[in-house]
Amino acid sequence: MGAELLLAAAVTLGLAVFVAPPRVARRGLFTRGLVGLAGMAAMLAAPSLDLVLLILLGMIVLQAGSAVPVAGPVPRRDFATRLRAPILAIALLALGLAFERVQGPTVLERFGVVGIVAGLVAAVGLLPYVHEFDPDESVIASPIPWIAFVGPLLAVTVLSRARQVIPAEASDAFGAMLIGLGLVNMLWGSVASWRTAGDAAAWRYSFMADWGLVLCGFGLAIADGQAAALILLVSIVLGRLPLYLLSREAIREKHPTDRPINLVVAALLAGSAPFAGFPARVLLLRGATQLYWPLALVLAVGMLLWLPAALRLGRSMGMPRGRQAVGAAIVLAVNIVLGLYPQPFLALAGL
Amino acid sequence: MFVAAALLAWLGASLIVLSDGRRGLALGLAVLTVGFAVLTWPSGAVLGASAVAAGGAIASVQCWRSGPATWGIMPAGSTPRVVLCVGSGVLALWVAASVTTGPGAPLRFAVLVVLGLMGVRVLAGRETAVLLAAIACLALALAVAPGVAAASAGPVPDIAGGLVAAGVVVLRPAGRAKADKLGG
Repeated sequence: MGAELLLAAAVTLGLAVFVAPPRVARRGLFTRGLVGLAGMAAMLAAPSLDLVLLILLGMIVLQAGSAVPVAGPVPRRDFATRLRAPILAIALLALGLAFERVQGPTVLERFGVVGIVAGLVAAVGLLPYVHEFDPDESVIASPIPWIAFVGPLLAVTVLSRARQVIPAEASDAFGAMLIGLGLVNMLWGSVASWRTAGDAAAWRYSFMADWGLVLCGFGLAIADGQAAALILLVSIVLGRLPLYLLSREAIREKHPTDRPINLVVAALLAGSAPFAGFPARVLLLRGATQLYWPLALVLAVGMLLWLPAALRLGRSMGMPRGRQAVGAAIVLAVNIVLGLYPQPFLALAGL
Repeated sequence: MFVAAALLAWLGASLIVLSDGRRGLALGLAVLTVGFAVLTWPSGAVLGASAVAAGGAIASVQCWRSGPATWGIMPAGSTPRVVLCVGSGVLALWVAASVTTGPGAPLRFAVLVVLGLMGVRVLAGRETAVLLAAIACLALALAVAPGVAAASAGPVPDIAGGLVAAGVVVLRPAGRAKADKLGG
C-alpha cells in the first residue's frame, strides 16, 4: 500500500508547486517537499517500526526547526508547540511497542495496543490529541498539509508493522479501538467542519472527519475495510490536500463564491459519485454490514453529515483562475478516474 | 553491570528532567549515553554500542557548548519534577522486574523510564536546548528499544538512533519572518 501512497504524495507535491501563488517561494516549497518524500521513502523501506519512529523523529525536528513562525508579538506556534504533539505520538508508539514486546500478562498486551493506537491518533492530529494550529501559518509550517502529506503513508506503515507484533488475542481490541476513535473523529470532524467560525478551521476539521473514516476502515480488518481505507487515504493526498492548498488564497482574501465549480468541488469533498470517496464509502458500508450491521447504520448517518460541511468548503475555494484552475481540473480528473475505476489501483496495492 | 547501566540511564534522564542549564543537560545526556551504550552491547555488539556512544557523546558535547553556561540543576520549584523522576523510576522498576518476565529486565527498565521521562520533558519544556536534549535522549531510547524483544536486533537501529541524537542537537530553529514569503 505504501508505494502507491508515496507516488500519490509525489504527484501532489508537483501539483502544489505548480499551483502555488506567485508570492510563494516555489523552490522552498519544493525542497521541503522533497525532504518529506525522502523521509517517507525511508519509512517505507525501514524493516522495523523502531526505525520508522526514528526517521519520523528526525523529520519532525527538521520540520519544526525549519518552519518560520508567523510574524507578530507572540507567535501562536513556537518551536516547543510544534514539537509537543508529534513527540508525544512517538513516545506513545514506542511505549506501546515496548509493552507488546515484553513477556508478561495479557493486560500488558492491551496496554501496548492502547499505546500504539493513541500514538497513531496523536501523530495524525486526531481527537483526543488535536494539534494546535494557526490559520495564518504558511503551508510549510502548518501541521495541516504536513499531516495530510506524510500521515497516510505513516499510518499505513505503522499499522502494517504493528500488526506483526500485536498478538492475535489483542487484535480484536486493536480493531475496536480504531473503530471507536474513527467514529468519534468522523462525527466530530464533520459537525465541526460545518459549524466552526473560520474557513481554515473548517478545512482542518474536514481532514479529521476523513481520517475518522480511514480508522474505521482499518479497524474492520477485512478486505473491504482495508480497500476503503486505502482509497480514502489516496483521496486525502490527491483530493482534499490539493483542494485545501488551492483554497488558501480565497480564504485569506475572504472571497467565497457560488459557481458550478464550487458545487463540483463540494461533491468531491462529500464523497459523492463519481469521485474517489464514493467507492470507498460503499466498500466501508459493505464491510461494516458484514461485520456488524448497526455499525453500518452509524457510518451511513455520519456520512450524511459530510454534505453541509462539503458545501461550505466548496464555496470557500473561490473561483480558481490560471494555474489554479488547471490544478483544480487535474484534481477533479484524477478523483473521477479513481472513483470510476478503483479496481486497478486496489490490485496494484495487493487488495 | 547491566543493573548499574540501567540506573545510570535513569539518573541521566532524571538530570535532564531536573536541569534547565546547558551543563546540567549535557551531563544528563552523557550519563544516559554511558548507560545505554552498555545496555546495547548484547543486541547491537561493538558497532551498535559504539554508535550509541558516539551519537550521545556528540549530542552531549554540542549541548555543553551552546546556550548560557549554567548548570541549572533543580532550580526553585523543582519538587514536582523530583517526584516525577522518583515515581516513574519506581513504576518502571515494578513493571520491568515484577510484572514482566524473561531476561533483560535492566534494559526494559531503562527503555520504559527514559521514554516516559523524555515524553513528559518535551511536553512540559519550552527552552530549545531542553527540548533538543530530551529529543536526543528519546532517539537513544528508540535505538536500544528493539533489544527488549530480541537479543539479535542488530546494530542498524543503534546507528540510526546515534545519527538522529547527534543530528538534532545541531539544529537551531528558524527565527520569525513574514509568512507570505514561505508558502502563503
